[in-house]
Amino acid sequence: MVGKNCFAIASDRRLGVQLQTIATDFQRIYKVHDRLFLGLSGLATDAQTLYQRLVFRHKLYQLREERDMKPETFANLVSAILYEKRFGPYFCQPVIAGLGDEDKPFICTMDSIGAKELAKDFVVAGTASESLYGACESMFKEGMEPEELFETVSQALLSSVDRDCLSGWGGHVYVVRENSDVRCIFKHDNSDMILLRSIKYIEKELNMLV
Amino acid sequence: MENCRSCVAIAGADYCVIAADTRMSTGYNILTRDYSKICKLADKCVMASSGFQADVRALQKQLAARHLIYQHQHNKQMSCPAMAQLLSNTLYYKRFFPYYSFNVLGGLDNEGKGCVFTYDAVGSYEKVGYSSQGSGSTLIMPFLDNQLKSPSPLLLPAQDAVTPLVEAEAIDLVKTVFASASERDIYTGDKLELVIINAAGIRREYMELRKD
Repeated sequence: MVGKNCFAIASDRRLGVQLQTIATDFQRIYKVHDRLFLGLSGLATDAQTLYQRLVFRHKLYQLREERDMKPETFANLVSAILYEKRFGPYFCQPVIAGLGDEDKPFICTMDSIGAKELAKDFVVAGTASESLYGACESMFKEGMEPEELFETVSQALLSSVDRDCLSGWGGHVYVVRENSDVRCIFKHDNSDMILLRSIKYIEKELNMLV
Repeated sequence: MENCRSCVAIAGADYCVIAADTRMSTGYNILTRDYSKICKLADKCVMASSGFQADVRALQKQLAARHLIYQHQHNKQMSCPAMAQLLSNTLYYKRFFPYYSFNVLGGLDNEGKGCVFTYDAVGSYEKVGYSSQGSGSTLIMPFLDNQLKSPSPLLLPAQDAVTPLVEAEAIDLVKTVFASASERDIYTGDKLELVIINAAGIRREYMELRKD
């Protein structure tokens, strides 16, 4: 989601095989460089392979050009790499978020064969994407400051994944500001009141079911 | 197959808001922009349905007939919880050739408190504080969860599901939610029809939505 000279990128933490949960702390968002983040939802093995290939390409770019890649350029790179596998695709939907020239935030998402969707407000991907569209559309405001943006993204993510049985177990939220300050928050350790309330509610439910 | 999507209902302490959009579509085409999906079943009981509209019409006729019989036999209108049970039984009667209709029933119970009942196509129902059905429900439900924070039905002791919001706030919430849903869902839009039931009676409001 885009804010005022900042952006936020968030994901849930569950890794599962249909109804079985394999991990509750799975990292889905990767840092490409200080001002560019990549989130990969979908098949975990494809996400890891894709990330490794992209980091490799980015490092080569850094050696040749002696600078970091711009988010728009990186998005084109991801799109090209995905389309190379047009007839045997990677089962991933990437979400790219970065700060471009003059700290202008850039976000985009793609389908699994590289069709880019640029947006000015927010982009979503994954099994809960319809719920996320609804929640983000209702909660988004133009020009949010980083603190408010964090709050909005967290609430949208939490309420959407609560309605999807394949997503959950908290979330990771990264808010990147203009002076390249990166804040990385892990929901289960955060002492924010609203989040604590939702976690307590889940604990209560579990106690009743046991 | 004519389809209508998206309806929402919210129950309050002394009111109930039921809303649905007025678009009827088939495939990627719009058949009409001005079709009401909300039907008044009894004095304090209103039903909104999404799904296949021919089945919805048949269901409404069936319920109206049964309600008339009830009125003749008992000399009073059916209460909302009674209508809720009747709807469930009517739907399950056709368990093996169902009515393709996804309903939300809203009204005031005998004490004047708002109640909302949500159904699936074969009659499984639950009394809740708020609900949405139809194609827009995947977009609308998470936001309603976030704003209305209903306690889980699994918690003991059983907690009150009605929202503490005032009627005006609930109406604003419903309008916001439909504005967002019509941005992202192709089947939702044109006009929003709101029906508000409170002690004073039933009133209708309309709001324009996106036409695309």
